[in-house]
Amino acid sequence: MTQPAPASPLFWRFNPEVFRLIGIKCKDCGHISYPRTMICHECGSQNLKEYKLPKTGVIHTFCVNWAPPPTFEPPIMPVMVDLEGGGRYQGLMTEFGAPEDVKIGSKVEMVLRKLTTDRGLNIYGYKFRLVEE
Amino acid sequence: MRGKVAVIGVGMIKFGELFEKSLENMIQEAYLNCLKSVDKGIHPKEIKAAWFGQWSGGFIGQGTQSGHSLTSMIGNLDIPCTRIENACATGSDTFRHACLGVASGVYDVVLALGAEKMRDKPSAESLGGAGGGGSAEIGIHPAWMIGQGGPAIQAMHATRQMYELGYSMEDFARVAVKNHHNGTFCPYAHYQFEITIERVLNSPVICWPLHLFDCCPQTDGAAAVIVCRADLAKKYTDRPVYVVGNNVGTDHIQFWDRNSFVEQRSTIRAARGAFEMAGIKPQDIDFAEVHDCFTNTELMNVEDLGFIRKGEAAKRLKDGEFDLHGWLPINPSGGLKAHGHPIAATGLGQIFEVFTQLREEAGKRQVKLKNGIGLQHNVGGPAFGVSVVNILSRSL
Repeated sequence: MTQPAPASPLFWRFNPEVFRLIGIKCKDCGHISYPRTMICHECGSQNLKEYKLPKTGVIHTFCVNWAPPPTFEPPIMPVMVDLEGGGRYQGLMTEFGAPEDVKIGSKVEMVLRKLTTDRGLNIYGYKFRLVEE
Repeated sequence: MRGKVAVIGVGMIKFGELFEKSLENMIQEAYLNCLKSVDKGIHPKEIKAAWFGQWSGGFIGQGTQSGHSLTSMIGNLDIPCTRIENACATGSDTFRHACLGVASGVYDVVLALGAEKMRDKPSAESLGGAGGGGSAEIGIHPAWMIGQGGPAIQAMHATRQMYELGYSMEDFARVAVKNHHNGTFCPYAHYQFEITIERVLNSPVICWPLHLFDCCPQTDGAAAVIVCRADLAKKYTDRPVYVVGNNVGTDHIQFWDRNSFVEQRSTIRAARGAFEMAGIKPQDIDFAEVHDCFTNTELMNVEDLGFIRKGEAAKRLKDGEFDLHGWLPINPSGGLKAHGHPIAATGLGQIFEVFTQLREEAGKRQVKLKNGIGLQHNVGGPAFGVSVVNILSRSL
């Protein structure tokens, strides 16, 4: 039995990075990186500005994972999302009917959901769901 | 490379579910096979340094291995030895470090050996260790909490290959058909049976669009290579094979930092540097052992290595261009698809195959040589951001 922890280190990191979706945009090469970083992952520049990731976008690619690790109920659908206005975010689809409803180009939005547990504490973050058109 | 390097011996064991063999058993067997393969013989004490490739131990809770795991198991405690881990390219990078050790002028004769126990743990745990979203990643980033191991990462490439390049699941399955066929001629392969497109497509879906037989198996194995100064090679064999180029290429570790999902810049970068070092072009290569951990990955690799243009792989495969007797045989050994993927042994096993092919000792799977140059490639790690390319040649 895992002992509950008095606090999860994730909570310290989660507030700006996960809940408020703050990343960076490189003023030199334009690369958007998430979460916040002091050095651009693409070109190494330190000339950066904060960039808040938008919560909507379209699916760039995905798969339907029928053999996820034991803590997940199959199928799970990881999606790579091109966010509206720039940047990418990767997450799991939630509240989809059939896997066939999810396609490249489908419009999606972020919703706050439980992601996992860390030593007895619930960890929340964003998942994606299809936007009705 | 400034100092010239030659391969004088290679040894491996039959890859498979080796429940009866320990890590030590496998290491010793591969090592002894390697010593035996040196045509004019070699005394173990002529080996002056070693590099030990090992991935799984620490990752899947079997105890972290270090340099002395190798030296003590081969009873050669007077030599330096460092353990190398560089994701799925661990084996090929272990080889590369051994080559650099010789090229630097510090050592004359060295050993590169990789061994991996993947099957002592159930697949889920073994894959979980490979980035499947297990607890190891928690604390790094929430996106790691989405159950994403190798199959999911490659499936997300495959979906995009279908969308952007028009590839189909049949195209992916054709890679399995070719490599399984080649594997029937290799006594070291884990899988030694033919497969059909229908059987691939009727196998369970692991990560759509990839089926069970699009994935290489989880496998135990070990492989070893001895390299030495090129000017000393003839003391050990009249038919050495030379290392003319190698490189490591990297790309983002965060999957979402990546720009394209139909190419792997790690491979592109590794290849560029290796070809530059060798002073040759992709078209000079006679055959290649590439990283087909998943079928779609092989299609991406042959494009990223510069053999053909992006988007051409599926058609050229269908036309038989990558078959054993095509103009560019890809994975004549049967690849990871047939051998399985004991991480640190994989790359060294590929070097074994390139060496064997260049010496025209591959029997029924022997490819036709034109320039006498072969290429070995691995790619992997989180977001497939690490790649190694080694280029071997019959002449310097």
